[in-house]
Amino acid sequence: MKAAGNASTGDWDIVITAKDKLLSFDFKELFQYRDLIKLLIRRDFVAVYKQTILGPLWFLFHPIMSTIVYMFVFGNIAKIGTDNIPRPLFYFSGTMLWTFFATTLQKSSDTFIVNAPIYGKVYFPRFSMPIVYAVNSFFTLAIQFVCLLAIYVVYLVSGYSFHPSWWLLATPILVLQTALLSLGIGIMVSALTTRYRDFRNLIHFGLQMMMYVTPVVYPMSEVPARLKPLVMLNPLTPVMELFRHALLGGGEGNLTLWAVSLVETAAVFWLGMRVFNHNERTFIDVV
Amino acid sequence: MAAIIQVEGVSKEYRLGVIGNGSLYKDFQSWMAKIRGKEDPWTKIGAVSKFGKRDRFWALKDVSFEVEAGDRLGIIGRNGAGKSTLLKILSRITAPTAGTIRMRGRLASLLEVGTGFHQELTGRENIYLNGAILGMTKADIDRNFDEIVAFSEIESEFIDTPVKRYSSGMYVRLAFAVAAHLTSEILVADEVLAVGDAKFQDKCLGKMRDVSLNQGRTVLFVSHNIGALAKLCNKGILLEHGTLTATGEAAEVIRIYENSLENN
Repeated sequence: MKAAGNASTGDWDIVITAKDKLLSFDFKELFQYRDLIKLLIRRDFVAVYKQTILGPLWFLFHPIMSTIVYMFVFGNIAKIGTDNIPRPLFYFSGTMLWTFFATTLQKSSDTFIVNAPIYGKVYFPRFSMPIVYAVNSFFTLAIQFVCLLAIYVVYLVSGYSFHPSWWLLATPILVLQTALLSLGIGIMVSALTTRYRDFRNLIHFGLQMMMYVTPVVYPMSEVPARLKPLVMLNPLTPVMELFRHALLGGGEGNLTLWAVSLVETAAVFWLGMRVFNHNERTFIDVV
Repeated sequence: MAAIIQVEGVSKEYRLGVIGNGSLYKDFQSWMAKIRGKEDPWTKIGAVSKFGKRDRFWALKDVSFEVEAGDRLGIIGRNGAGKSTLLKILSRITAPTAGTIRMRGRLASLLEVGTGFHQELTGRENIYLNGAILGMTKADIDRNFDEIVAFSEIESEFIDTPVKRYSSGMYVRLAFAVAAHLTSEILVADEVLAVGDAKFQDKCLGKMRDVSLNQGRTVLFVSHNIGALAKLCNKGILLEHGTLTATGEAAEVIRIYENSLENN
C-alpha cells in the first residue's frame, strides 16, 4: 500500500487540477513504476530480435556496415584524416555514439503519437516511455562497445599502441550527457508532433544534417578554421571528440567547450521536460 | 466514512475539429491564401470562425460530488452525457479545464480490456505487463499470479502461449482477471463488461462487489446496462449534457434516469 500523502498535497494522495505546476516533476512516482519500466524495456528489447536468426547480433550489423562504407568513402576517396587513430576504430566509435544519440532522439520524438492508444486508456508516468527508449538504445551501445573492444584488442595484439587518457573515467558522463541531450530534443519534438505531424519528417532530415556538423566521420582537427565555430555550436561536438579522445587517444580534450556543452545539454533537457510535462496533460485531446 | 474522492467544480472544454489545420503545411496554405486575399482552402463548410462559439464544446460543466470509501458508484447517463470524459479526467488521461479532484490511495482505470497487451508475448508475460501498466508492482503480481490464472479459467498449458493464439474469449477473460486482482484502493471501470459471455460477466460483477464489500475498495462503474448497475452499485450519479442532475442511492438515481428516458 502506498503511504499517506506528502506535505504538498495535504492528506490527499492524488490531486488533479486544471493548471499544471511549473517545474513539477514527480521522480517519486517514476520510481514507484520502476517494475513497469523494467518490463517495458524487456518487451521492447526482446521484440527487436524475436523471430530473427542472428538475434542481438543485428545490433552490430549497422555500425559495422557503416564503418566499412565510411572507410571507403571518407577514408579512401575523400582522404579525410582520423587524428592518427586507426580508421576502423575511428569510424566505429563515432557511429556507435551517433547511433545512440540518433535512435534515442528519433524514438522519443514519437512518444506521444506511437503511445497514444495506451496513453488514452490508462495513466502511468508518461516519461516512462522515453526512458525505455533511452535504456534500450543504451543496451545497443553496450553491445557495440564490446565489439569496439574486440577491434581494439586486435590492434593491440598486432603491435599498435594506444594512449587512452584519464578522460576514460568521464565516458559514463559523456554517454549520460548524450542520452539527456537526445531525450531533451526528442521529447520537445514529441510535444510538437501532437499538433504538427510535419516535425516527424523534419526529424529525419534534421538528424542527417546534424550528423555532418558533428565530428562523426571527421575529427575536429580536419575542420577548416573558419568553419570551426559552426561545428562547435553543436553541443554534441565536444562530447564526440572527448569520447574518442578518452577511448583511443588522439585529438584533445577541451574542458571549456565541454563545460559549455554541458550547460547547453542541461538547458535543452530542462526545456524538453517543461514542454513534455505541459503537453502530457491534454495531448490526448489533440493527437 | 471519509471521502476518498472529492470532485470540485470540474469542467472540461473540447475544441471541435483540429487545432489549426493539423499540419504546418496546411496552416501555411491558409496563411498564404489570406495574404493573397483568397479564400482559405481549409475552411470547413458552416464553420463560423476559428475561435467562434461553435468550435467549442463543454463535455462537462461544473461537476461536483464526493465518493466515500467502500462505495460502488454508478455513473449513469445517455450517450454523450460526459461519463467517459469524467472517467478520463479521474484516470488522469486528460486534465480538466477547470476544477479540482482529490483522491486518497491509488486509482486503477479499466477503460478498455487488456490495455497494453502485446500479441507476441505469452499469457504469463502479459499478466505481468498489464498488471504493471495498471499500477501493480512485480511483487503484487507474484502474490496474485495463481489466483489470476484461476480466475481467468485459462488452462495452465495455454499460459505460456503468445496471446495472439488465444480465442477472443480467453483474451478477455485473462485481461479481466488481471484487472480483478488490482491492489489499488479505487477501481474505475467503463463498459468493460460489454465483452465476454453472460456467465463471465456475472462472475466479474460478483468480483467487483466482493472487493468493495470485503476489502473496502471503492468502485466507479459506467454502464448502459441498468441491470448490471443495479446489481453492483449502492450509490449513483446522473449526468445530462455534461451537468450533474442527480446524486444519491443507486436505485433512486436509476429511477430518475429511467423516467427521463421515458419523457423523451
